[in-house]
Amino acid sequence: MKKMKSVEIMVAITVVLALLSILSTTPCGAKDITELRFGYQPSTHQIAYMTAMDMGLWEEDLKKFGIAKITEHEFPSGPSEMIAMKAGELDVAYVGTAPPITAIDKGLGAKIVAAVQINGSALVLLQGHDVERYTSPDDLKGLKIATFPPGSIQDTILKNWLKNHGLNPDLDLEIVSMGPGEAVTAINAGAVNGVFLPAPYPTIIEQKGTGKIVAYSGEMWPDHACCCLLVSDELINDHPELVEQIVRTHINATEYNKENLEKAAEIFTKKVQGSDIEIVKKSLENWDGAWISDPHLEINSTLEYVKEDYEMGYIDKLLTEKDLFDTSFYDKIMEGPAPTPEVTPTLTPPAPPPVSTPVITATPTATPTSTPTPTPAATPTPPMPGFTAAFAIAMAIAVACVILRRRV
Amino acid sequence: MLKNRVLQFLNRRGVVEVISLCVAILIWEMVAVFVIKDKGILPSPHVVFLTYFELLDLMPMDICTSLLHFAIGLGAGAVVGITVGMLMGWFKAANRALDSIIEVLRPIPPLAWIPFAIIWIGLTHSAAGFIVFIGAVFPILINTYTGFREVDKTYIDAAKVLGCEKESKLIRLVAIPFSLPYIATGIRVGMGVGWMCLVAAEYFGVSRYGLGYRLLCIFFPLQMMDKVVAYMILLGLIALVLDRVFRYFVEERLLKWKKGMVTQ
Repeated sequence: MKKMKSVEIMVAITVVLALLSILSTTPCGAKDITELRFGYQPSTHQIAYMTAMDMGLWEEDLKKFGIAKITEHEFPSGPSEMIAMKAGELDVAYVGTAPPITAIDKGLGAKIVAAVQINGSALVLLQGHDVERYTSPDDLKGLKIATFPPGSIQDTILKNWLKNHGLNPDLDLEIVSMGPGEAVTAINAGAVNGVFLPAPYPTIIEQKGTGKIVAYSGEMWPDHACCCLLVSDELINDHPELVEQIVRTHINATEYNKENLEKAAEIFTKKVQGSDIEIVKKSLENWDGAWISDPHLEINSTLEYVKEDYEMGYIDKLLTEKDLFDTSFYDKIMEGPAPTPEVTPTLTPPAPPPVSTPVITATPTATPTSTPTPTPAATPTPPMPGFTAAFAIAMAIAVACVILRRRV
Repeated sequence: MLKNRVLQFLNRRGVVEVISLCVAILIWEMVAVFVIKDKGILPSPHVVFLTYFELLDLMPMDICTSLLHFAIGLGAGAVVGITVGMLMGWFKAANRALDSIIEVLRPIPPLAWIPFAIIWIGLTHSAAGFIVFIGAVFPILINTYTGFREVDKTYIDAAKVLGCEKESKLIRLVAIPFSLPYIATGIRVGMGVGWMCLVAAEYFGVSRYGLGYRLLCIFFPLQMMDKVVAYMILLGLIALVLDRVFRYFVEERLLKWKKGMVTQ
């Protein structure tokens, strides 16, 4: 009996030690990173990311911070991207401003450091009866409209617009939520009367001849925020100078795209294989979106989304600008001594005069020789996370051991 | 003495089961509270338990809608699966004609059918049922087929000797009773697979209720992970109940004669 007990104690101790050793290997403080992981979605909204990737800007600009490898992950939708970020699989995400709201409310540590794009969605109605009848939002009564799930920008804007026109989005019409592929299939099959989707899907449907754009999201909610550049708190705290360069590179890529619409379309087609360059070009010509990088331009509408989400009960806290945004990097770049490119967004649909092609590789903005401030290692090492847990688990296992042994 | 008592206690019905369940929940709770410490990555069991109270008014309608989708899919799957399986099992020609088609269609994942569910059926309850159907039909079909193949030749001969000449009568009186256990197994497996397809079947806007719809279209986008887990467990529990009910009615009632044929 005694011997058995000592065996049990031995087991418990080994388990504790093993768990501690596992837990202690997880790093606590700031560490040098050599790999940066990006998340994006295959949308024309986020071509800035693709351009920077395609032209090797990320690698080139971030090399001096010790980044040797850029890894990218493509996501079909914002929520899955946010889950990946929460799980620590992403450092930087190009994403709509709505998914971060719900994710940050639920504990994701990340901030929006730059804007990516505003407007850029459109309501498409089924060709024929529905289009002919449409003159105002009132005519949508009784129709079935597909859009992204609740909490997405599209859902928020559509419902807000309907409410502003005196319609009840729950009773007067049926809004069904689905992904972009399903929605395009649904309207092509006539299973819904309309869809409200981001570019380039509205143009894809128009080109197919099954639907017609009747309203742009920029008309429904002028200059509403859409995609943004989200960076994890860890990166912001541990490597601020790296984040600053990410924002800089993003600004450069955005400016390049605005000047070179054709090239942007080409890059998109190369990235999203299977897309048709003509349709992408067409979509960039007739969308109402604009690529921007100034985060200040997205703050107001994002806070409006927060209010909507809060009223709907989607989030628990009324998040503030401080919870969601960190504009300091952008502000610093803009104030900086370096000659800045005109970053004032062209809010009107971009009619690009492709006169000058700036040599982007020369990084007109940066002069990043302005040495990044030596990291002040402002990372309070958190108390060892798992000792109590390890102890508790070991106890549980020990109890289980005792029970099992007694049985025999 | 004490040892004996403990043993006796453990041998009582359900004791070990309850203990193992409790330990699993305990470990889950501890890992969630002490190690992960983040509701968004691993909600702890007590948080999940509490969310059920918040979901009380949503759950009945969601469960009913999901059961409707499931019933459509399983019903259609049983009808098609049993009929085609019988044909293939009884008539060699039917088997030769259909076998290759079925073997090509069978491995296609139900989710791959979503575009055609929308195109052919539209955004209706039947479209969700169609996805469940694709999942459920093949196990039922294959099992029915196997049952018919396995019919003992001596039974057929005996039936013929006793004057059962017509083929339809042979099927009705010999082959079907013989293959009932196989069909029952097929339906049970089909129920499992069909239920697994349910979440995906409700993902593309077929209705505004449903367990899968609520899980993937509402809770997931809004990052309500505690509710996601609550619905995941609900999905598991309902499947368990369905399976038990099915087993009770079929194995205890319909196939009572079989009990004790091999083992208890």
